[in-house]
Amino acid sequence: MNLTDQTWLWAIPALPLAGSALCGILHYLTIKARMPKRAHGAHGHDDHGHDAHGHGHAAHADHAASDHGAGDHAHGGDHGHGHAKVEPGLSAFAPWIAVLAMAGAFALAIKGFLGLQGETHALESPAWDWIDTGTFRIDLAIVLDRLSSVMTLVITGVGTLIHIYAAGYMKGDKHYAKFFAYLNLFVFAMLMLVLSSNLLGLFVGWEGVGLCSYFLIGFWYEKGWPAEAGQKAFVMNRIGDASFLIGSFLLVKLFGTLDLSDIVAGVSGLLGDPEKKYELLLAGLFLFGGACGKSAQLPLFTWLPDAMAGPTPVSALIHAATMVTAGIYLTVRLNPVYAASPDLLFFIGAVGAVTALIAGSTALVQRDIKRVLAYSTVSQLGYMFLGLGTGAWAAAIFHLVTHAFFKALLFLGAGSVIHGMHEEQDMHKMGGLKKHMPATYFTFLAGAAALSGLPLLSGYFSKDEILAHTFAHGGAYRILWGIGIATAAMTAFYTWRMVALTFFGKERFDPHHVHPHESPSVMTVPLMVLAVLSVFGGLLGLPPVLGSTHALEHWLEPVTAAGNALLAEHGTHALDHGTEWMLLGLGAVIALVFMGLGIRAYVGGTARDEKVASSAPGLARFLQGAWGIDAAYTAYVVRPMQLLFFVVAIVIDQFTIDGMVNGAGAVARTCGDRVRRMTSGNIATYGLWMGAAAALIAFLFLKRIG
Amino acid sequence: MSAWLHLFTLELAVVAIALLVLLWDAFAPAAGRAVGWTTALLLGGVFAASFFVDGRGTVPHGVFVRDEWVVFHERLFLAAGILGVLGSIDWLATRTPKRQAEYYALLLFSLAGMMLLAGARDWILLVTCFELMSMPLYVLCAYGKQDGPASEPKLAAEAGLKLFITGAASSGLTLFGLALVVGMTGTTHVGGIGANPAPLTIVGMLFVLAGFGFKVGAVPFHMWVPDTYQGAPTPFVAFLSVAPKAAGLATLAIVLLGGWSADSSVWLPVLLVLAGASMVVGNLFALPQTDARRLLGFSGVAQIGYALLALGAMSRGGLAMTLFFVATYVFTNLGVFFVLHAAAEEGGGHSLARIAGLSRRSPWLGGALLVFLLSLAGIPFVAGFWAKLFVFMEAWNAGLVGLVVLGVALAVIGLYYYLTVARSTYMADGDRTTPVPTGFALRAAILVCLIFVVGLGLWPRPLVEAADRAAAGIVSGR
Repeated sequence: MNLTDQTWLWAIPALPLAGSALCGILHYLTIKARMPKRAHGAHGHDDHGHDAHGHGHAAHADHAASDHGAGDHAHGGDHGHGHAKVEPGLSAFAPWIAVLAMAGAFALAIKGFLGLQGETHALESPAWDWIDTGTFRIDLAIVLDRLSSVMTLVITGVGTLIHIYAAGYMKGDKHYAKFFAYLNLFVFAMLMLVLSSNLLGLFVGWEGVGLCSYFLIGFWYEKGWPAEAGQKAFVMNRIGDASFLIGSFLLVKLFGTLDLSDIVAGVSGLLGDPEKKYELLLAGLFLFGGACGKSAQLPLFTWLPDAMAGPTPVSALIHAATMVTAGIYLTVRLNPVYAASPDLLFFIGAVGAVTALIAGSTALVQRDIKRVLAYSTVSQLGYMFLGLGTGAWAAAIFHLVTHAFFKALLFLGAGSVIHGMHEEQDMHKMGGLKKHMPATYFTFLAGAAALSGLPLLSGYFSKDEILAHTFAHGGAYRILWGIGIATAAMTAFYTWRMVALTFFGKERFDPHHVHPHESPSVMTVPLMVLAVLSVFGGLLGLPPVLGSTHALEHWLEPVTAAGNALLAEHGTHALDHGTEWMLLGLGAVIALVFMGLGIRAYVGGTARDEKVASSAPGLARFLQGAWGIDAAYTAYVVRPMQLLFFVVAIVIDQFTIDGMVNGAGAVARTCGDRVRRMTSGNIATYGLWMGAAAALIAFLFLKRIG
Repeated sequence: MSAWLHLFTLELAVVAIALLVLLWDAFAPAAGRAVGWTTALLLGGVFAASFFVDGRGTVPHGVFVRDEWVVFHERLFLAAGILGVLGSIDWLATRTPKRQAEYYALLLFSLAGMMLLAGARDWILLVTCFELMSMPLYVLCAYGKQDGPASEPKLAAEAGLKLFITGAASSGLTLFGLALVVGMTGTTHVGGIGANPAPLTIVGMLFVLAGFGFKVGAVPFHMWVPDTYQGAPTPFVAFLSVAPKAAGLATLAIVLLGGWSADSSVWLPVLLVLAGASMVVGNLFALPQTDARRLLGFSGVAQIGYALLALGAMSRGGLAMTLFFVATYVFTNLGVFFVLHAAAEEGGGHSLARIAGLSRRSPWLGGALLVFLLSLAGIPFVAGFWAKLFVFMEAWNAGLVGLVVLGVALAVIGLYYYLTVARSTYMADGDRTTPVPTGFALRAAILVCLIFVVGLGLWPRPLVEAADRAAAGIVSGR
């Protein structure tokens, strides 16, 4: 391969960006065509829409009482907008464009992957001096190395499937094209995050995915709460982003460069200087703070369950498979920074383990199917950080990949269920769906089996690898290992509780009003592909004890070498084969036992939930509210802040400025005279204040000089 | 004499337009939008001419210097002036059709003052330009004194009076300080202080600094900002919130980085305190506000804090990023106020509840507002992202670690209240559902702002380069 000309690498992020722009234009044209005065002119375009989606319109005119059956086109308008039928118009082309852009990016990602074989460790596009004023210079290049290649394959591969699924799921939405514009823009930002050669490009992607997440969580803002959830997610992410930015500044100060590969290469040279080593630790800590925001770890995880207000494909793509793994990517990318400090590593592992436990236990009692999956995602991300905390970079990436497969599958499956149940998300009102939705059922089973770690499925190998590494570290890591095992048990239990409540047992909905139906093939085919990946994804990283090489670990070797070299200085941790077999067996037993318990408890219906709620109401509430963390934020952070600012607004603002008087119009009108007098009084206050401030400054400095 | 008159071509052109508008009104009073559009188009011509008029040079005795720094500011002020005029056309034509010309003429005089200000290197010229800029603003502030909904008090006259009295007081501070400085040093040249100034000179400098602190609305000289923004007519507030602030910052740069750079140990701590206090007070006081214009007033205080932070970096790069920051702020804030003006047009009032349902009534206005707010918050793909990032980078490089950490943390709060404004436009419970009526001129102004905010977000390089060249006029070297 010609190493000098890799300009084509720019096409990987550029394709989704172009797709986003085109979908945006389509959105504009559609909206324009829908405006009353233009309706006639746009009729020609609408004809196309009728041809393709004829049944859909009939269906959502009166979807409450209609009998959809299993028709392929009966899904529009289910999203609760309460609007009359919406002509798709030109926006019907949007999914085609978006999917094509994704598929193109995926094809290029494969091309890059094939180019990385053998001794080639990274492909780099020519640097683009994006800003260069002589005093101020920013270069940007696209680097596809072993790590970003894995990330890119997941983002574009799983992303393509989710885009296809979304074409069916979002059909009939009045902002169909806008959805794909945002979705493609998200993929662009995510690709910039993983492909940038330097911290600045990474930061653009880092903040960009937050922005797109905000748009997409709030996509159905007309319902009210999604807009609020979007704002919460964005602001909590921004807390992490602030931490990330400070960490990056520290890195730039230490290494004098924005370039990621230079930073990675420079770490070992710094460690001789204790002061610099301390600054490196600080930088790592701040960057980890950023990772906690984006990857929903303690204490910043509470936005992710709320983010489920977004359409389900968004939950699958952004809040399970890609964006939330950005923190993992960042940590592996900068692995020597973390490997330099065993204490920092342990801290990361502990945060991951505790987050996994809290979120896993919370998932046990949720009734909303998407919230179960959301807490499960937080919990699984916790596993990944636990893996990172042991320095098992490849294991964390392995779990990231398999999790992307099975969690995307479970979310999309849940979306299919929600869709078939006319927007019902409460599992207590489901049950017995397996005969109504066979394709969704079987694929969901595959995802659930992988998540719960049933032997030989993808999740089994990736999770057990992390736990084995944790066990091998010994010492305090054994506690983390115990937490990990307990969480594994909970994972199996809540997963199969979810399956049992949704698909097994009796139907707990009114069959006269709800007619569950299988989703169209545009939605089920992506499910099947993901199901195959979830089952066989474990082949990427079979444990050595099974007599094969860990393909992924070997693949990532060039990226993780720097960190591994530093780790080796603190001693290596290897398990003998007997222990390894024992741990694999333990994982299998736990998964099977708790799967059985979960099914047995819930196959008969919701009685167990009610029993728990009545016999231990305190515990149920505690778990329901994620150990009261969100409530604690409200009580100890949000409320006091609100009170403080209320005081600020009422007392201080009114004292110096007559804001409240101006605001209260009616009052002011009746006592207009008084207002004038108060106001002119205020001008004197201003003068006094300004004079005093100036005098104070002068006094202070005279004193300093004198 | 005529050897240097060509340096003032653009300024003279602006004054000529002002006189033309006044004469037009005197001889052939025209209702409708003709005066406004003529003004906007002529200003556009001046803006275009700024790319062809190649007048660089120095007036004898170095009183006025026209270099890249001045060219940058002339263009920035002209752009703000054009947009300010565009945004006012529809409003003036419907509210006060009989007396439009005076509004435009006053705005143009103020504009001429700002344009001259950037090149002034002599205290007397500097103060004169500053007053030429400020006086018309006092009048304009009270211009729509009958405006507003019947149920609310008429605040414009009060706002004008407040702006005038506090403005006069701050001018007094500046002049008092200058009297001390000039008296002690014996020269009216801005750079005439030199190293190791006498204590009385330092007192004078600090009073000058306080006076300029008022003009840019930095804490603790910020109290007029929210009051004036809330009371004055919105299209004017749009202009007031950007152009005079850019002029004030330019003056601070000329005086501090240009004239007094040798004495930075005197003023730098003050500047940094002003920057930090503005960021803290602006961001925290913006949080509980329920009036959109008042909220934006405090937000403006916070934004000035960020700009002062970059100025405090005391480097060419820092100054360039101050200029970049201010330029993006000009387009963003003009855009925000124009959208608010459009949304409040029928019925008036600017409480957050008033814009509820905006993005449903007029998706494009709602979308534009969201873009502007995201830019103020510093989010990628729009101009404000680079502005904030570059400011923090330069300040960090200059060693202002504590203030950068503070600023980064406060930017989180900023995002929260900007999104709160955005969220209220999503809310469906607005009492009206029909599209917001907007005039063509106002829409054009919003569109131009939108193009700049998004365009600079995707491709900031031209502005960064221009700002860097301009900064070289004040801070030489790297």
